[in-house]
Amino acid sequence: MALIAGIDIGNATTEVALAELSAGATPVFVASSIVPTTGIKGTAQNTQGVFQALTVALDAAGRSLAELDLIRINEAAPVIGDVAMETISETIITESTMIGHNPTTPGGLGIGVGITIEIGNLDRAVGGTAYIVVANKTHTFDDVADRINAVQGRIEITGAILQRDDGVLVHNRLTRKIPIVDEVSLVEKVPIGMLAAVEVAEVGRIIETLANPYGIATLFSLTSDETASVVPMARSLVGNRSAVVIKTPKGDVTERRIPAGWLQFIGDRTSEVDVDRGAEEIMRVAGTVGPIRNVRGEPGTNVGGMMEKVRVVMGRLTDRDPSGIEVTDLLAVDTEVPQKVTGGLAGEFSLEAAVGIAAMVKADRLQMQRIAHDMTAQFGIPVEVGGVEADMAVRGALTTPGSSIPIAILDMGAGSTDACVLRADAPARSIHLAGAGNMVTLLIQSELGLESMEDAENVKRYPLARVETLFNIRHEDGTVEFFDTPLPPHVFARTVVLHPEGMIPLPLRQPLEVIRQVRIKAKQRVFVTNALRALGAVSPTNHVRDIAHVVLVGGSALDFEIPQLVTKALGEYRVVAGRANIRGTEGPRNAVATGLVLAWEEQR
Amino acid sequence: MDEKTLKNIIEEVMKEMAVVGATAPAGKPAGRSAETPSTSLVITETGTAARGTNPREIVIGLAAAFGGRQTQTIIGLPHDQVVKEICAGIEEEGLSYRFIRLFRTADVGFIAHEAAKLSGSGIGIGIQSRGTTVIHQKDLPPLSNLELFSQSPLIDLETFRAIGKNAAKYAKGESPSPVPVRNDQMARPKYQAIAALLHIKETQLLDPNKKTQELRVEYR
Repeated sequence: MALIAGIDIGNATTEVALAELSAGATPVFVASSIVPTTGIKGTAQNTQGVFQALTVALDAAGRSLAELDLIRINEAAPVIGDVAMETISETIITESTMIGHNPTTPGGLGIGVGITIEIGNLDRAVGGTAYIVVANKTHTFDDVADRINAVQGRIEITGAILQRDDGVLVHNRLTRKIPIVDEVSLVEKVPIGMLAAVEVAEVGRIIETLANPYGIATLFSLTSDETASVVPMARSLVGNRSAVVIKTPKGDVTERRIPAGWLQFIGDRTSEVDVDRGAEEIMRVAGTVGPIRNVRGEPGTNVGGMMEKVRVVMGRLTDRDPSGIEVTDLLAVDTEVPQKVTGGLAGEFSLEAAVGIAAMVKADRLQMQRIAHDMTAQFGIPVEVGGVEADMAVRGALTTPGSSIPIAILDMGAGSTDACVLRADAPARSIHLAGAGNMVTLLIQSELGLESMEDAENVKRYPLARVETLFNIRHEDGTVEFFDTPLPPHVFARTVVLHPEGMIPLPLRQPLEVIRQVRIKAKQRVFVTNALRALGAVSPTNHVRDIAHVVLVGGSALDFEIPQLVTKALGEYRVVAGRANIRGTEGPRNAVATGLVLAWEEQR
Repeated sequence: MDEKTLKNIIEEVMKEMAVVGATAPAGKPAGRSAETPSTSLVITETGTAARGTNPREIVIGLAAAFGGRQTQTIIGLPHDQVVKEICAGIEEEGLSYRFIRLFRTADVGFIAHEAAKLSGSGIGIGIQSRGTTVIHQKDLPPLSNLELFSQSPLIDLETFRAIGKNAAKYAKGESPSPVPVRNDQMARPKYQAIAALLHIKETQLLDPNKKTQELRVEYR
């Protein structure tokens, strides 16, 4: 009888399956364990995590390290993934033509057109002209209201632009009501003596006139050429509750496309694609070159820099010269990133187009051998490297009740998405693709503008809820849950993630539904895209349709919604997909570790 | 701060206290010292405070000496301006406010909690004469809070405006970012003695048998 341990070192976790094997009998699994991987997969730092995982499993089985006869580790999927993101568009306001930020509490209602004037110069204003008052923060709300009330009647005041957050306060004190835009941080840059329009919409509404090019044309009597030039401005004001547009001789809003550069895919053929054309086109071109051997970015451009960064990171991890690193797969995803508008007067943000890229490189196959060697020396137990990771995963996946050959597995991890098909009459076909859990986290983080990776990780992993009172929350599906004791005050009136260890408030202003959509879209763009890509590549006919059953394994298969999203997407191809249940007990975890033990049994 | 300055401060406060003690007959606002800016606040008690039903209101609970025996915070911000800023913050968010005064306790947490319990929105603000402020919610335990501004020497008028604004946002069910609070290790040693004395002055006006009073607050 022998006690052997199968150990799977993954990008995110190290898993152990511990089994007793006696000749002629089926292996008896006595324990399994899972701990976070120490260091990067395939490097010497992994040994610590392996030791910890082993200890946990041995303790659970009540055995000691000395009783262990053999350790089998995976021949790591020879891939490491990395993610990067770069914006490819930029909004620039020249000559202060507009204020398009969204103060939560503007004052008044409606639209006012007039000549901008500093509040201190109101005495010098001449009758018969309409004016828009500009007040900096040295003027309190009493002061502003008094001054406007004093001249109202003599001259016409149609709107106000304030630096302080005083819009409602001034409005409440005016005898004649006007629309007021407040919190304009750089109010001193507002051009004086120019024709301007101020618009404030009702609560819950958005502005209509200034967000419409013809509306602006009507207010400022523009020619058709001039109207064409205000289109980007009107567009950038869409969705705001208040706005100011100022007619300056030269001012303009432009959306600049940052030259993003091209990507070159080198496979059986070589093909180039402009990153500007978006993720869909990039992925289409990537699919046309056959098996990808390397990917290059145009030197001196954003994408060139991104690919260089990936190479340097990979080079450092694998101890190789960055220039020799070959990127063997790439997943591009279109995304939008909130960016500060250049030249804005009130700290405006605009959603800029960006492209996120997950890249994967071939790692050294000898590395695992080296780790095995190190471990043998350290533990004093024979350590051997098992077969190809995907084959092991299939073996493990086959322990799922109800599964049988032919089988396809989809291994959704943190760094890569792998697929493998095993049929009775043919060798297994497998593929490793860039883009998995880490890519989802990156997309969530950048699209929501989250500062910490940890918050993004939490948004990815757990459902959301809104704390409505201290005694109840509303879940993201609309159901209400009550509590007997008051919730902690720091979650009051906040959108929270339902972490198993308690609610974590999110530092976000977006409504819950927006956050939820960002999360679901990020998961779809990475996992659904990759599931179809991977299964298409390993299918005997290269069509996803011709795979009958798919078993989902890996850490991301544990997610509360990724398996559903993938299952639903594959359902459209009439493919039956479901989450694995390794050995009937482990869920989608431990497939490779289990497979390693089983493979040894069969070898004998 | 050396020993000498500390002594000066204590002497100054002791002197004031003697004055207060001498002219104590209540109701009349007693000036702190010659350079104390006289407040323009006129605070009148209008009867026992009642529970509000207006979901748009924030109740502001004042400690016993606020705007009366004491007229400025620990760093000399006149109480009328403090009140004005808090109210402006609430008004800017489109809500209304109401004032009460507590005589049972000078503990700012309990003052704020009482204000929250009487508030139609369930949100209250409690403020001590020296400036310490708490935003509270009626369902929380008294010693908990939504936001606490414990270091009175670091609270300026801008912060008071933001406190009013945030209280209003909680009442509206929005999720305000907590008001940024500065932190200064030296604030405690520098102001501890004077803070203690100001607190004693506050507690001298306590009356355990007097019910919480509704206030009318006007500017002269």
